[in-house]
Amino acid sequence: MKRLLPSLRAKKRYLAFELICEGPASRNDLIKEVMSSASSLLGDVVASECDIKVLGFEDWKGIIQCSHTRVKETRASLAALTRIGGKRATLHILGTSGTIKRVTEKFLQDHKVFEPKIETESQRLRDDR
Amino acid sequence: MGKPQFYDFCVHAAPDGDNTAQELTALARHFGYSGITLANHSDKLPQSRPVLSLPDGFEIFKGIELVEENPSKLHGLIGKFRKSVDVLIVHGGSETVNRAALENPRVDILNHPAFDKSSGLNQVLAKAAAENGVAIGLTLRPLLNSRGSRRIRLLSDLRANLDLARKYEVSVVLSSDAISCFDLRSPMEALALAEICGLEEEEAIEAMSTVPEKIISRNRPGPGYIREGVEVLEEVDYF
Repeated sequence: MKRLLPSLRAKKRYLAFELICEGPASRNDLIKEVMSSASSLLGDVVASECDIKVLGFEDWKGIIQCSHTRVKETRASLAALTRIGGKRATLHILGTSGTIKRVTEKFLQDHKVFEPKIETESQRLRDDR
Repeated sequence: MGKPQFYDFCVHAAPDGDNTAQELTALARHFGYSGITLANHSDKLPQSRPVLSLPDGFEIFKGIELVEENPSKLHGLIGKFRKSVDVLIVHGGSETVNRAALENPRVDILNHPAFDKSSGLNQVLAKAAAENGVAIGLTLRPLLNSRGSRRIRLLSDLRANLDLARKYEVSVVLSSDAISCFDLRSPMEALALAEICGLEEEEAIEAMSTVPEKIISRNRPGPGYIREGVEVLEEVDYF
């Protein structure tokens, strides 16, 4: 099939995120939970307008794609995510951009994911003083 | 106008919640909050106040969430804790408690006003709240952790309370009510969620930045404060 003209393609936004989770989480579990939380919070109609897709997820970081007019709804539905595969989790959005290249450069390249064991962070704060 | 500073005004640390105060503050700081209030329920207070290293640009306010069924005992508790905390929250949940909290100007926030089949507020209580400067607390944790019919109930209660708050100009505070690190949400996500749930963008930002700032400035008077309405602005040696 012929590819759609660039001007006719739907515009997208890419959200860089980090996942803070109790235990290991697989990409498939994440996708399942993102979709179910979107359809539960927004309803299937609005969730379909958001056009949410998990593009990549590795090392607790990843990129989610959504429609450029529905960033707010997407953010809200990602915030409503509480568990992944039965383990408690929080999805923190680092930033949004219009291209995958930019979102990777700007937010993901040297971002250190917040440690689930947070003692190390407070330890570090104490050591810094 | 600069970027608004966001505050989370109801976070429960151990022994009330699962995580220690250090972990919660570290995470809140990572999420971009300018300050949080550690407000444990009054029946689960820590043995001693945790000693926290205060990083620059981040504030930790002392708070308490009072749980008491009896209105006269509640007033007693308010008097007891008012001096020692920055933020005084009342855990509502029955008509008498809601009324007692909203009619007491020393209370800052009323959380969880809903009970049985009511959203917890009516025009009388909303008027009292506006007169006494008590804010209504909207909490994210119940919204996040429930689904289906329970969440629908919570959302319709929230809408009913919002309508009353708008009509009578009652201020609204948006907080996470987190009992563990996994209940905290970053300010931007909390805003997005609030907007989906029916707040306007400006209202949501106000509920997380200006209203908390007002509560703090009310409870932490400046150095020249003498009593209500009397303040030394500049000390000059006249003699």
